[in-house]
Amino acid sequence: MLSDRLIDILVKSFPKILLPGLKMTVPLTIIAFALAMVIAVVTAMVQFADIKILKPLARFYIWVIRGTPLLVQLFVVFYGLPSVGILLDPFPSAVLVFAINEGAYAAETIRAALESVPSGQIEAGYCVGMSWVQIMRRIVLPQALRTAFPTLFNELISMVKDTSLAANITVMEMFMATQRIVAIYYEPLALYIEVGFIYLMFSTVLTKLQAFGEKRLAVYGKR
Amino acid sequence: MSMLEVKDIHKTFDGNQEILKGIDLSVDKGEVVAILGPSGGGKTTLLRCINFLERADSGTLTFDGRTYDLKKITRNEISGIRRKTAFVFQNYNLFLNKTALQNVTEGLIIARKMDKEEANRIGRQALDKVGLSDRYDYYPNQLSGGQQQRVAIARALATDPEIIYFDEPTSALDPELTGEVLSVMRQLAQEGMTMLVVTHEIGFAKNVASRVCLVEGGVIVEQGRAAEFFDNPKEQRTRAFIEAISSKE
Repeated sequence: MLSDRLIDILVKSFPKILLPGLKMTVPLTIIAFALAMVIAVVTAMVQFADIKILKPLARFYIWVIRGTPLLVQLFVVFYGLPSVGILLDPFPSAVLVFAINEGAYAAETIRAALESVPSGQIEAGYCVGMSWVQIMRRIVLPQALRTAFPTLFNELISMVKDTSLAANITVMEMFMATQRIVAIYYEPLALYIEVGFIYLMFSTVLTKLQAFGEKRLAVYGKR
Repeated sequence: MSMLEVKDIHKTFDGNQEILKGIDLSVDKGEVVAILGPSGGGKTTLLRCINFLERADSGTLTFDGRTYDLKKITRNEISGIRRKTAFVFQNYNLFLNKTALQNVTEGLIIARKMDKEEANRIGRQALDKVGLSDRYDYYPNQLSGGQQQRVAIARALATDPEIIYFDEPTSALDPELTGEVLSVMRQLAQEGMTMLVVTHEIGFAKNVASRVCLVEGGVIVEQGRAAEFFDNPKEQRTRAFIEAISSKE
């Protein structure tokens, strides 16, 4: 079934797909996810601390972002914003959209984890003289992030694959690279399976990282 | 002069149930005051209002010669008072992500900005005192309930408080583990530590406390020296309470 020609195509295209993966997919994921974590922690804390004005704003942000398709968000930013004078290159557009999108989901994950920390932890912090900020930084957030860790990793793995949507706004990532190769050789089945396999490789690395991370975080055991 | 004095504390939860109906209580330096009473009678709420874990609806608190309105007290005043007091919880509430030693030093290093080495020295000393010199680096989940509560007592001691509040410190423990916690508390009492203890341990109240209060229905029904309280109670409700708990033992 696998002719010599097909094997030759697959072998030659492998680095041509992997390279954009390493140069675009990976940096896009890492930068966007890091920004998303900052957005998520702030958005979750604002709600956890019940800050007036900011809390409804946080709920509004989550409502809008979770309620609209990622692809639509990409199109609004990349194809839509230029008409009001905001012109962004494909890569920064993608980083922005993925960070804002993931931030909304991760905010809920982190909020749930914050609320799962027993209130006695906060009371004990007050009783030894710590301030609210100190308690959050030293006691509550570390415990919440451990609880949130597996779910956040889930979301990270999703994001690696979702970056393929950035092909639609001309980011030269793995999927777009594959589409171009398909256009040359017209072997869609083999080549799309190949790119799927490379995504699977990336996800496998992350799965291993997750297991390693969970082991590290497990030092203080279960509740 | 009393070190701690509260006057006319009122507290109502959710606008309907009045838990504290005007309680006056004072604690002198070096005194061990035990608060007894049936569940739901307001003992724990009283203690939590005194340390601002609950905000009282009205009442005053005098601490270190200064009087504060419990309703209007500011956050700064609260943290100032808290730095001179310590609280031991029923379910320990050790910081789950910190070792025994870190639990004890956290309030010194982070809240009081103490030098780390100095804090560790004090922390080890406090853990030694409660008999845990071999458990410095254990996490709470690696310790038994009695050990966790002793870490909590060490955490309270390390901050060199003027008074320690205990909220049913042995109620969450298996019967065979209460002894180790009570003996640490007895030792503190002998050393002159001022303590306000909400408890169900009649033995402790009888033998260690200098004064005993019965809190029921949101008021102090009776208070007096321990011997008097148990041997010659004045109030009918006190007699009934003592009878009820004695028959259980």
